Amino acid sequence: MSILSEIFSWWGGNTWGTRFTIWKIASQVGEDEFGNRYYLQRSGVGPLGKPRRFVVYKDLADASKVPAEWHGWLHYTVDDLPDENYKPRAWQKPHKMNMTGTGKAYRPKGSILRPQKRERATGDYKAWKPE
Amino acid sequence: MSKKLIIDDTEIEVEDGITLLQACEQAGAEIPRFCYHERLSIAGNCRMCLVEVKGAPKPIASCAQTVNELRPNPDGSPNVILTKSALVKKAREGVMEFLLINHPLDCPICDQGGECDLQDQAMAYGVGGSRYVENKRAVEEKYLGPLIRTFMTRCIHCTRCVRFMTEVAGVDELGLIGRGEDAEITTYLEHGMLSELSANVNDLCPVGALTHRPWSNTARPWELRKTETIDVMDAVGSNIRVDSRGPEVMRILPRNNDSVNEEWISDKTRHVWDGLKTQRLDQPYVRRGGKLRPATWEEALGVVTQKLAQTEASRIGVIAGDLCGAEEMFALKSLMDRMGVANVDCRAAHEAFDPSLPRSSYLFNTTIEGIDDADAILLVGTNPRLEAPILNARIRKRYLKGGCEIALVGAQVPLTYRYEHLGTGPAALSELADGKHAFAEILSKAKAPMVIVGAGAYRRFDGEAVMALAARIARAAGKDKAADWRVFNVLHTAAARVAGLDLGFVPGKGGLDTAGMLEFAKHDGLEVLYLLGADEFDMPPPDDVFVIYQGSHGDAGAHRADVILPGSAYTEKSATYANTEGRVQLGLKAVFAPGEAKEDWAILRALSAQLGHTLPFDNLTELRAAMYKQAPQLQRIDDVTPATEDPCSALIAREGKVSDTPFAEVISDFYLTNPIARASRVMAQLSALKAAAATDARVTPFGTDEASVQYQMSPEA
Repeated sequence: MSILSEIFSWWGGNTWGTRFTIWKIASQVGEDEFGNRYYLQRSGVGPLGKPRRFVVYKDLADASKVPAEWHGWLHYTVDDLPDENYKPRAWQKPHKMNMTGTGKAYRPKGSILRPQKRERATGDYKAWKPE
Repeated sequence: MSKKLIIDDTEIEVEDGITLLQACEQAGAEIPRFCYHERLSIAGNCRMCLVEVKGAPKPIASCAQTVNELRPNPDGSPNVILTKSALVKKAREGVMEFLLINHPLDCPICDQGGECDLQDQAMAYGVGGSRYVENKRAVEEKYLGPLIRTFMTRCIHCTRCVRFMTEVAGVDELGLIGRGEDAEITTYLEHGMLSELSANVNDLCPVGALTHRPWSNTARPWELRKTETIDVMDAVGSNIRVDSRGPEVMRILPRNNDSVNEEWISDKTRHVWDGLKTQRLDQPYVRRGGKLRPATWEEALGVVTQKLAQTEASRIGVIAGDLCGAEEMFALKSLMDRMGVANVDCRAAHEAFDPSLPRSSYLFNTTIEGIDDADAILLVGTNPRLEAPILNARIRKRYLKGGCEIALVGAQVPLTYRYEHLGTGPAALSELADGKHAFAEILSKAKAPMVIVGAGAYRRFDGEAVMALAARIARAAGKDKAADWRVFNVLHTAAARVAGLDLGFVPGKGGLDTAGMLEFAKHDGLEVLYLLGADEFDMPPPDDVFVIYQGSHGDAGAHRADVILPGSAYTEKSATYANTEGRVQLGLKAVFAPGEAKEDWAILRALSAQLGHTLPFDNLTELRAAMYKQAPQLQRIDDVTPATEDPCSALIAREGKVSDTPFAEVISDFYLTNPIARASRVMAQLSALKAAAATDARVTPFGTDEASVQYQMSPEA
């Protein structure tokens, strides 16, 4: 994110205002595998009666970019920060942001946006082939 | 005697013994109903047909009360019946509300949607909302075989299916067990239904409880194009309606014709539909270097023309198959006449029919409707249950009325009525003919006796002699009977046969019949064999003879063929068929033939032009005009030309020595009797299911009453 776009655009990512406010009231507590950074309010409490917790996204700001372990902390589900002891469950897949609206969006079977072979249509018949 | 009634202000006179519902219909009043069906016994359990009778304390179920049961008015005035009064409407609305307590509201996903009696009648008698908050009743699905899909929660317990299976199909496969909320329709042991008429229960079901499994959820009734046509699976000529969407036949349903199939059709007639989409011949093939290669019409016809032109007429053979329409047989016969070919035959090997005898010698002269009047029936070498299930149901209908003696000479097969088994072969027939057997007396004493000769008797080496024996029995039985009563009947197995015989599609002077041609082919005598949809025999071995196959499905004939000319199936052409009674019926074209396939008469017309023997017709109308000139009986569509001449003396004149061989069962597998059925997956499933059931003693789907009684009493069961 260039300085210019941080100054002149507010869509897509953090602005310099966000950066300044968070620098003023919070300090960084960690960073996840995608480069998103997490902050905790230094003094005082937020509206929930606890110190506020922040995330500053790397590049595009999209809430689905927060992986599961940080999601819990960010939403006050757990108070412990995910550290090196954090172990994902056996059934957990690697985190992936929501791709809806992008070129990598999920297209269900039968979608016209999905390249596929034409299925047998009604009215087709099976021709006899010799041998 | 007749009875006067006043129904909705109209005074009418009705005959005795009919029900109130029938009387109301005669007066033009429409009565809603679910359980009542004209051709089944009366159950009176849906209560939808309530009417108000003046003077009666409560509304009356009109289907279950005869007009004679009404209490006469004290002043002798006619009873007054109201079908549209406020009380009637309220009573029917109440019934409907009760029916809908447990009926699921799943019309959008129900296959019956659009042709559902409950849906229709709820439009008239349904109330806006439900007053019930309790959970709906849930019923487990039942397995009723590959033809019937069940949604038992939708069942309203009209018991039409149970009554059909018991009364018409004649097998106790379905029943209603439990009472009240626990009542369920079931096969008791959860085996698939295997009666050859079982799929009719889907038509009878007024709701979506029983629907057709093979074509379930593929179409809605309002998007289908309906074509009224004729079935060719057997020689009964059942009236059917072919429902199609675009190029595809979606389903086949029965059509009402009281003189042929009433409103039933066999499972083969109905579900052979998927055979119309598989194994199709959709382009011409020519054998080159030992392999069949795709060819154009020009190439294929060129090869055929060259071969036919080069070959001596006496070395050309022509056989027409079981499913051909009269038009193409006429075209082929005319072409062969012009070429001087005498080796033509439409009969299976060793079939003892001769069109030079009176027409009644190869017809079911009593007519199917006439069975209702018969009081003694002798079946000779036939299993009507497999050869003509609809005709068999007609015999059962007669049997249930009582006072009809039935006997069988031939293989002892399970039929749907009790019969006396007289013997397995011609020996028993000779005894009957000589009057030595007790049943001969029953026949001669009967007012309206019938002798039905089946394929097991006439399709054998000594067929003529067997027919002569049967004719002797028929003549003895027919003495001193009503002048228009015909005793002698032939039950055909092929839809094309009667029309073929009417057109004289048999060997000309010095010509060979089917058996002769096949034998001649084996000895390198025959050079060209033209098969018009003929598959039902052992093909001549490769290299002996040049085989031209014209037909719709890739079966035995196509595999052996040297040239394949793709024709159309019965749903893809307009053609005339004469059923076993000689009733001429016109089949209509529902869809177009697939790919490059053409209508069969047009192929022959094109071929004739190339051969230089151009046939004198360019369209179906001209063809039919020419055909009617030769066989005038074929223009009496939907009608039977009554047999004027008695066939017996002509048949007896051909008497000969009969062998001791018992009459064979000609149909070994009911579901696989023709190329279309053999291409059908549903038919294959049914065939496999039947084979499995035959080895499983617990399941007796083809059993008679006796068989099921034996099962109940046998100790190991």
